[in-house]
Amino acid sequence: MQVMEFLSKKAIITDIQSTKKEDVIKELVDSLIAAGDIEKRCRGKLIESLMAREALGSTAIGQGIAIPHAKSDCVEKLVAAFGLSKKGVDFDSLDGELAYIFFLLVAPQDSAGPHLKALARISRLLKDKYFRDTLRSCEDDKAVIKIISQEDEKKI
Amino acid sequence: MPLIKKQVIVKNKSGLHARPAALFVQVANKFESRITVKRDKEEVNGKSIMGILMLGAEKDSVIIIEAEGDDAQKALEELEKIITNEVDR
Repeated sequence: MQVMEFLSKKAIITDIQSTKKEDVIKELVDSLIAAGDIEKRCRGKLIESLMAREALGSTAIGQGIAIPHAKSDCVEKLVAAFGLSKKGVDFDSLDGELAYIFFLLVAPQDSAGPHLKALARISRLLKDKYFRDTLRSCEDDKAVIKIISQEDEKKI
Repeated sequence: MPLIKKQVIVKNKSGLHARPAALFVQVANKFESRITVKRDKEEVNGKSIMGILMLGAEKDSVIIIEAEGDDAQKALEELEKIITNEVDR
């Protein structure tokens, strides 16, 4: 599974304005709504599910990365939004660092497999410090798509 | 330094997703021992959450936990419990 298979090209924010966890999540969910990947009527419930998941333990896995995720009956297949924060966000990260790179995943209600594969794939790509740094320096969505696609091709 | 390893089957309902992976790493980091986790050809640092997630280990997949150090035995026992816990956390 490649990242570009589930990352919504129209839901890429390279300058996240929010500085609070819940606001970042809302900003990313709104980008998926604007992209047409999720219906607006699902917004409230989805944000609630994402926050409920955070309450169980932060999805900020360290190295400046957070992967908020939830299941929703509003999607038929796994979809993701991507965000970059220049300032960094306090996401209660496991290593105590701020989060700069965000992948927000929404998976269908009855699934487990695709979500696990997506996490594995994102981790594989982001484990590379050079890739993380390059990703963080992206100024627009085209640059993000370009470098993720390149990395997807490199790491089979 | 004693090096011990054990093959375990993932019993967590949804596999080693973010929460059990975080728990695993948290417990692994309590120990001095070097912890390595293997699945198929993949070999990752058991103290890195990204490493564990990279394995993408679903329910019923087989992984090998390797611990090397003075507290290896205790580490392995505790880590095995997390992997074989059927409750989805």
